[in-house]
Amino acid sequence: MTTFIQLTTSGLALGAIYALIALGFVAIYKASKVFNFAHGDLLTLGAFLMVSLCQAGLPWLLALPCAMLGTGLVGMAVERVVLRPLLGRPVFVTIILTIFIGYLLRICIELIWGSHPYGMPTPWETTATIDVMGIKLMLNALVSLVAAGLALACYFMLMRYSRIGVAMRAAASDQEAALTLGIPVGRTLGVTWLIAGMLAALAGIFLGMFPRQVEINLAYVALAAFPAVLVGGLESALGAVIAGLALGVLQLWAQGYVNPMLGSFGHNFHTVFPYVIMILFLMVRPYGLFGEEEVKRV
Amino acid sequence: MPNRPLVTDYLDDRKILLGRWERRGLALLGIAILVFPFVATNNWITIANLTMVAIVGSVALMILTGFTGQISLGHAAFLAIGAYTAAVLGTQWQVPFWLILPVSGLLAAAVGLAIGPFALRLEGLYLAIVTVGLIFLVNHVLLSFPDVTGGVGGIAVPIYYWFAEENNGGLTGFTESWHIAGLEITFELKLYALFVVLSLASVFGIRNLVRSNIGRAMMAVRDHDLAAAVMGVNPARTKIIAFGLSSFFAGVAGAMFAFQQQFLTVEPPFNLLMSVQYIAMIVLGGVGTVFGAVAGPVAFVVLSPIMETVGRHLPYISELNSSQQSTLLFALLVIGFMIFEPLGLYGIWLRIKRYFMAWPFSY
Repeated sequence: MTTFIQLTTSGLALGAIYALIALGFVAIYKASKVFNFAHGDLLTLGAFLMVSLCQAGLPWLLALPCAMLGTGLVGMAVERVVLRPLLGRPVFVTIILTIFIGYLLRICIELIWGSHPYGMPTPWETTATIDVMGIKLMLNALVSLVAAGLALACYFMLMRYSRIGVAMRAAASDQEAALTLGIPVGRTLGVTWLIAGMLAALAGIFLGMFPRQVEINLAYVALAAFPAVLVGGLESALGAVIAGLALGVLQLWAQGYVNPMLGSFGHNFHTVFPYVIMILFLMVRPYGLFGEEEVKRV
Repeated sequence: MPNRPLVTDYLDDRKILLGRWERRGLALLGIAILVFPFVATNNWITIANLTMVAIVGSVALMILTGFTGQISLGHAAFLAIGAYTAAVLGTQWQVPFWLILPVSGLLAAAVGLAIGPFALRLEGLYLAIVTVGLIFLVNHVLLSFPDVTGGVGGIAVPIYYWFAEENNGGLTGFTESWHIAGLEITFELKLYALFVVLSLASVFGIRNLVRSNIGRAMMAVRDHDLAAAVMGVNPARTKIIAFGLSSFFAGVAGAMFAFQQQFLTVEPPFNLLMSVQYIAMIVLGGVGTVFGAVAGPVAFVVLSPIMETVGRHLPYISELNSSQQSTLLFALLVIGFMIFEPLGLYGIWLRIKRYFMAWPFSY
């Protein structure tokens, strides 16, 4: 039972990070039909920025929004310089483009910070645990769960009630109609990338904490979050969050219970397990859990 | 004076070579292929061999992505299957190389055909991401049976001439140099000859595919599958054929890669980066053209050593290692091509040709 609860809480914490990443993918996809393969590298950038800002002496609580904002601005710049001229081109083009933007970002990060790992500073003891009814839980995991919850709540509030949120939803549902109503579609795209970059940075900062380190390969976690995006449905923010949480928990359960059952084949099986589930799931519902089924016209 | 005869009827449309330009170009290419081994050092012959591996691999991806429009990021998985088939057949049963090549292709094709029906339900982005999963799955399977595949430690690839008894040919047979009439024929040269045949055959193969019924069906499916279905093309069948053919060539390319490297590990090289590089190659060459399947890989492999020599003298860039330098170069090149010249090198070639054909008028 203890193992189960520990696995589930750390699964939820990982899932919360997956949810943040998946939400970043979905926000951009909804706004501009671009699947941002460079998201993982934005996440790494956020984590490295945070490390540098903390080393520069900024208090942790101030460094966090600064790192998020910095990453968001980089995202905005990418959108403005590279992707804006290619609006409306085939899917193929944007996939390749964002993959290579990712590689460019990665090389820039390596140039600036080098390839050795850093520890992510935290205001509390990095290896602190707290006891809940005799079960030891990592403080890092709990805080990341709370922070992700707060960020998700902010995102949904923003989309629901703020002026820019309404504009973003309008632009996502029909760009031309939004333009005729005087909504600056280009600017809302920029804001979308800003938000996605901020979410990525937040995910990166909490992902880089104690059991892991801040290093260049942090970006691969975005690959691991793909199943959450597709299973949740590319167009559904709620689906991304639910599928992200489920993915984290499932992955940890698989690591705890399925891996030992499979013998030598089970070594690291939990890393491919989400993909197996995704493929099986997409066979049944090719547009994901909450995605919209596309109606084709000739 | 137009050098390309106008296509006036169906027979013209089915010709393999159109006009003087293509015939002259091919003659030049033939001479270059024959002369190259006499002037090049062993190092450059190795680069040429890698180029030809890449050409066969690009031909494979061109069928699936360029002609049929199915974006696959799982190309490395099929190459891995081909390469590991070559390695395992060689070490376990001493299978000779000329039998390994088609068997690797067929095994990869079998996997491709098995995946085809799954892929039919998915489109565009969904397919691209699911095929990323394919790489992880294949690599996981390859790493899970270390007794057969060597696991993380890797596996040697022996090359036999014939079903070997103990000392007939043996492990070093192919890799030893021959001495014929005072000429030394090294391992690299032997591979060069073999690879020239294979890559020419595969390029000839897709040139013919493009002219055939199946090839036109593929392009119809790429341009609009529903419209193609209305015209009587069966999209499901066409896509599955594309998957099968593409993975066959990818398997052959994998086996060629295994022969060239002589020692395989799973990751690197068979990771997402490899898939992405193949996509970069066909984009660089020109998506949906046979010319692109050759020009892309040639540009890709030849530019890397050049970039290394240039990069050494640039600030910041010199701190990167060679693979990062080439990744940087191709990232910039591909992004540039995507924005300014979506047809790739083929587009540039078309423009040059048009300029000279219309000379002295500049339009």
